[in-house]
Amino acid sequence: MTWEMLVGASVLAATLRLATPIALAALGGTMSERSGVVNIALEGSMLVGCFFGVVVADRSHNIWLALAAALLAGLLLAALHAYASITLRADQIVSGMALNILALGLTTYLDYEMYGTTGTPSDLVAVPDLHLTFLNGIPYVGTAIGDQNWIVWVGLLLVAALQVFLFRTVLGLRWRAVGEHPRAAETVGVNVRRMRYAAVLASGALAALGGAYLSLGVAHSFTDGMTGGRGFIGLAAMIFGRWTPVGALGASLIFGYGNALSTSLQGATVGGVRLPVQLLGTLPYILTILAVAGFVGRSRAPAADGLPYETEGHA
Amino acid sequence: MKRILAFSLLAATIVASCASTSTGTPQASGSSPTGQHLKIGLVTDIGGLNDKSFNSLADQGRQQAQAQLLVVTSVTESKQQADYVPNLTKYAQDKNDLVIGVGFLMQNAIWKVATQFPNVKFAIIDGAPTDDAGAVKNLPNVANLFFKEQEAGYIVGVIAATMAKNKVGAAIHNTVCSMGGLPIPPVDRYIAGYQDAVKTVSPTTKILNGYSQDFVDQQKGIEIGKSHIAQGCDILFQVAGGSGLGYIQAAKAAGVYAIGVDADQAAVAPGTVITSALKKVDVAVFQTIRSVRLGTFKAGDNSFNATNDGIGFGTVDAIVPADAKAAATQALADIASGKITPKDTVQVK
Repeated sequence: MTWEMLVGASVLAATLRLATPIALAALGGTMSERSGVVNIALEGSMLVGCFFGVVVADRSHNIWLALAAALLAGLLLAALHAYASITLRADQIVSGMALNILALGLTTYLDYEMYGTTGTPSDLVAVPDLHLTFLNGIPYVGTAIGDQNWIVWVGLLLVAALQVFLFRTVLGLRWRAVGEHPRAAETVGVNVRRMRYAAVLASGALAALGGAYLSLGVAHSFTDGMTGGRGFIGLAAMIFGRWTPVGALGASLIFGYGNALSTSLQGATVGGVRLPVQLLGTLPYILTILAVAGFVGRSRAPAADGLPYETEGHA
Repeated sequence: MKRILAFSLLAATIVASCASTSTGTPQASGSSPTGQHLKIGLVTDIGGLNDKSFNSLADQGRQQAQAQLLVVTSVTESKQQADYVPNLTKYAQDKNDLVIGVGFLMQNAIWKVATQFPNVKFAIIDGAPTDDAGAVKNLPNVANLFFKEQEAGYIVGVIAATMAKNKVGAAIHNTVCSMGGLPIPPVDRYIAGYQDAVKTVSPTTKILNGYSQDFVDQQKGIEIGKSHIAQGCDILFQVAGGSGLGYIQAAKAAGVYAIGVDADQAAVAPGTVITSALKKVDVAVFQTIRSVRLGTFKAGDNSFNATNDGIGFGTVDAIVPADAKAAATQALADIASGKITPKDTVQVK
């Protein structure tokens, strides 16, 4: 084992790539739960984002239309969740789970109908990498961040913007108030329903951007179930990050680092003994447990998280 | 109103999730007026019919049998491992003459159902009936369809080694790599044959190997690919299903070469995929159905290899020089004649 395998520039670059889809899902979860709605349909939003992004990329050959379609698909799935959980006051976990199954069934079915057994076309338009050529000469930094995908940078910007929004603006304060004590928020004139709808729709679009990163930014194709549970890992990152955008990013980076290590340490030896690949596969989870047990301490969810809100006088 | 909307949402969910599990309807071939139609049922693994690999190949074999033999066939997709036993049982109860299960994950399910229906013939791809204690128990009504993956791996390894040795095109670093999904026997046999060929044809060529720990996740495959390419690899052989498509994508993005697996993956990335190691699941399914038709069904282990067209190599890209292609064709012939016996254990882990 060498330092290069643990903290080399290529490991950092891989960490960023692997953390991005998780961070975008975690960001979606944070925005939704801060308003008091649990959205476990993030995985589903991500998956429809993956799929419809690829379909529109294939049909239109226009990356902007493809991205718009991905976000819209994630947003529409989230709209169903918003309707079920805010308007109908249904159980949010049940609705979220149903929508995840819907997303998996729908994308698998349509993938087979549209692309059969040959797979999505090999010449899809894609979201390009951003080559920061002025960093080329700088050791470490150039390799670590010089060739990341555009969506990685958009994701980092979104983290900063939403952190400021939630904790430094009036609208952000209202957003959080709705998640902590909706009745109190309503008495001072905040429209709880409208706020929660906005939050859930935003969460779906954020998760779908993570999906678009996977299919249009990384894989340049769609395969069934390609999100592989990143929406759920995003929810864990949200809790681990204490329901803040910056915390969610930090937690996602730890997950990403664990995954990056399980690649970079393959073939490494410790005291002459090869590290088994199966053990390396558990690294992300071991790191998570260590981090949660050692550094995070107790995290507190928004007080009204997951509780349907009934307007006063509404029976 | 609200209730109706909530209900239709639920109904839409159920319809959409069922749509993907719907079974193909049995269609009579009807081409031949004489003889009795055999009934054949195929149960896929959880990858689904459009996995561009195993399940879709098995289904092609089924369709070919339907078109050419006097059989009526149908297929059911398994959405989770718990579906194996009910799906197999359904076909056995429906009085199918042969029930085929795809994939070694079905080993225990096949044992359970085949012991209950001793008069129905079963076949399992990549496996053998295994009891609840995990011990292989061959049954008189079950054919175990195994492949010599190391032979297919060897042939594509000959192409890779020849190109690496002669520094053809983008292959300038004299380094070839492979990535498995998990270190399990059918995967490792491919890699073992590949490495054996490289060591034989070009002993100076550097070999690397890795595992994505996954058969679905493309991003994991891409990360292993990027890591291999950074270490000088310019020919990348994937043995990891959907995750391996990411490994191919990494090769495509870097302008180096990849080798597909199981099915012919030339169309995945033309110009990048130089050839594919073929495991002809379609041939195995067709031959097994035909053996039931002819009364030559053989229970126990059935080997599909170079001698019976069970393995091979796919479309060879134009970048591959004639000598490399000729060497691969020669290797296939030498394996079939017994002159070469590819190793089946991985040397470079």
